[in-house]
Amino acid sequence: MPALIEAAGITKRYGGAWALRNAAFSLERGEVHALVGENGAGKSTLAKIAAGVVAPDSGTLRIDGREVRFSNPLEAQRAGIAIIFQELDLFPQLTVGENIVVRNLRFGERWLARPRAIERFSAPFLEAVGLPVSPRRLLSRLSIGQMQLVAIARALSLEARTIVMDEPTSSLFGDAAERLFGLIGELKRRGVAVVYVSHKMDEIFRVAGRITVLRDGETVGTRAMAETDMNEIVRMMVGRSGVGVETSAAGSVVAAPPMFEVIGLANRKLKSVSFTVARGEVLGIAGLVGAGRSELGRALVGLDRLEGGTLRLNGKPVHPRSSRQAMRLGIALLPEDRKLEGLMMQMPILENGSLAVVGRFAPAGFVQGSRELAAMRPWFDALALRASEWQAPVSALSGGNQQKVLLARFLAADPQVLYLDDPSRGVDIGAKSDIHRIIREFAARGRAVILVSSELTELLACSDRILVLREGRVAASFDRGAATEEKIMAAATIAGAAA
Amino acid sequence: MKGTLIGLAGIVLLAILFSPHAADGSRIFLQPGNLTDILRQVALIGIMALAMTYVILTAGIDLSVGSIMALATAVTAMRLTASPPGMGHVQAMVLAIGAALLVSAAAGALNGAVIAFVDVQPFIVTLASMIGIRGLAKWLTHNTNIDIGFGQDVAAHFASLFWQKAVVVGAFAVLAVIFGVALARTVFGRYVRAIGDNEKAARYTGLPIRSVKIWVYGLSGLLSGFAGVLYTAENHQGNPNAGVAYELDAIAAAVIGGARLAGGKGTIAGTIAGTLMIGVVTNMLRLNNVDSNVEMMVKAVIIVLAVAAQRQRGAE
Repeated sequence: MPALIEAAGITKRYGGAWALRNAAFSLERGEVHALVGENGAGKSTLAKIAAGVVAPDSGTLRIDGREVRFSNPLEAQRAGIAIIFQELDLFPQLTVGENIVVRNLRFGERWLARPRAIERFSAPFLEAVGLPVSPRRLLSRLSIGQMQLVAIARALSLEARTIVMDEPTSSLFGDAAERLFGLIGELKRRGVAVVYVSHKMDEIFRVAGRITVLRDGETVGTRAMAETDMNEIVRMMVGRSGVGVETSAAGSVVAAPPMFEVIGLANRKLKSVSFTVARGEVLGIAGLVGAGRSELGRALVGLDRLEGGTLRLNGKPVHPRSSRQAMRLGIALLPEDRKLEGLMMQMPILENGSLAVVGRFAPAGFVQGSRELAAMRPWFDALALRASEWQAPVSALSGGNQQKVLLARFLAADPQVLYLDDPSRGVDIGAKSDIHRIIREFAARGRAVILVSSELTELLACSDRILVLREGRVAASFDRGAATEEKIMAAATIAGAAA
Repeated sequence: MKGTLIGLAGIVLLAILFSPHAADGSRIFLQPGNLTDILRQVALIGIMALAMTYVILTAGIDLSVGSIMALATAVTAMRLTASPPGMGHVQAMVLAIGAALLVSAAAGALNGAVIAFVDVQPFIVTLASMIGIRGLAKWLTHNTNIDIGFGQDVAAHFASLFWQKAVVVGAFAVLAVIFGVALARTVFGRYVRAIGDNEKAARYTGLPIRSVKIWVYGLSGLLSGFAGVLYTAENHQGNPNAGVAYELDAIAAAVIGGARLAGGKGTIAGTIAGTLMIGVVTNMLRLNNVDSNVEMMVKAVIIVLAVAAQRQRGAE
């Protein structure tokens, strides 16, 4: 009998970046199949292709042996596939019940959705997921965890033969997660297959029967859970490339007193995070998406509210309550998403670069172009941005060069502490090495640098120490030399695997 | 911007082409008197549109400018007609104009403060003040116009001074230069553009978002107030019903000039071109005795065409 879903040779490109390259995946009836990989390995993209949300550039998708081509999720729904997105695709201004019946082929009434019919239809599924709220409740009144349960109830109500779950426990805690695992067991007994996308190893080993590992958009292999262990999976995720990491680029370990101290930082996403960074040190931060990497940066510059914790800069306690205050104190955050949070796309390169410091070249408020240019030139030169381009709009640059402009903005501000949130994301190799060099040079001028990266090789190459975050906590800390990709990955994914 | 200039040139050409002829055979449109008339007619809207460009650049909108202008006409006329007989004319005028500008700038700054601190959408905040400030102007004047006579008193002097073409057009020109240079050359101008382009990024960069917004709306109020002062002189009265729908004309001028309502894009030169375009079209149609209702329909078409042309340029 052919497999329920059989994907082969799937490729998908976003702009210049490969999301999937020749990925393959096979799902049997009634099995729970985990899809794992590092950040950016392509697991979410593959799941979305299976559910008709994203169309592949090439490759074949077969259901029950017949080749299919979904042009939208509704077609996948007809073929018996439902998906629960990580970023819940629900409508906050509709009720819980309406969210369950909208675009739902199993709900009988197409044109006239009477509240009572909606209620009758959705109540059993809400009960099944253990969500004790009325179907008439407005979705926006629920907590994020409850919304996740609504999304699951909706998937159940589609009576799909296959349910794709993309990080379903990212907002579920304790009992709710337990109930989900029970539900998955129940689905399995009823013959429903589940594709379980996650990076939480302990969960995967609890619920999955088989596991497929992706790395850099390619399928590394599929294993039966019973015949593998966490160490093998982590090795597959990281790949052999981890062995020959060049570590010479990083400077010597600095035995200096801490310049920046973070003590017991806590809020909604962070659970008592403490660490120190010395003058001239680059502290690497590893962790999966959602582990609190970006939230840590936001908390340090006062963009997210703190419920507890202290910051000390050069021994003095500081309490930035806005990023503006933080900038003045000398703590800067280079945001993760350069388009949404970083650059002014309609402004020229030079103006983007000098934005944080432009007041310094403006006696009486008038910007002196020559001084502005002179001040920015060293940074642009160091990042290999050519002067002929400086008046061009920043949108004309490649992603790598855009990132350099953004980096130049924060380097020119010359903060004491610089938090870099994934500075080489989506950047080509050449630009990447420029960025790594300039980070080291900046730290060497007596600054403290905190470097977040999804790429372990980058962290190993640039950092003096590496901190691993997992679910808002510091899971482990490695000195350079002691760190390996396997150890970091294990600490980031497996509960209680601290080194 | 380039597209706006081409459009303006085209409309001027049309106006010359279709201009009726005077008795001596010259084209009426090109007579100096007519050309300066156009400038005077667009000056009030043009002055408001300057600050409106700043507002739109920050991804905001100011619907209250017409009401603030009416309030300014009321305050100016009330102060002038109430000034004690013994006071010198210059002193009385300075006091009246100063009071009007102060009230207007304060109203604008209040808009800005609510937008910046309470984080309500500019559309809603300025819609509310459009209604409220109109009410205030009517309440202050008991719903009546305050007429300024033609005699020898302060008010009459004020009117005859600020009514003159040279003063009105000159003020527009000076303000246009100031706002143009400030936008292109100062730190403040750069912050205005940066905040509208990407407010989130401006926050990460530590820009003074709140104070910039308060300033921008304060300037919008100030210029609306100044337009109100000029209106009072030109019409010889303080009129609480003045400036109805002026906010829409000011927004239209900026938008025709290439300003993007989503923020970050727009220039003073473009806004001036947009203002002139509206003025020339109006003048052309009136010289040809076209019905004023048709005039509105033509304006509508021009707004849509201008914005559509910019969209295509942007999409390239």
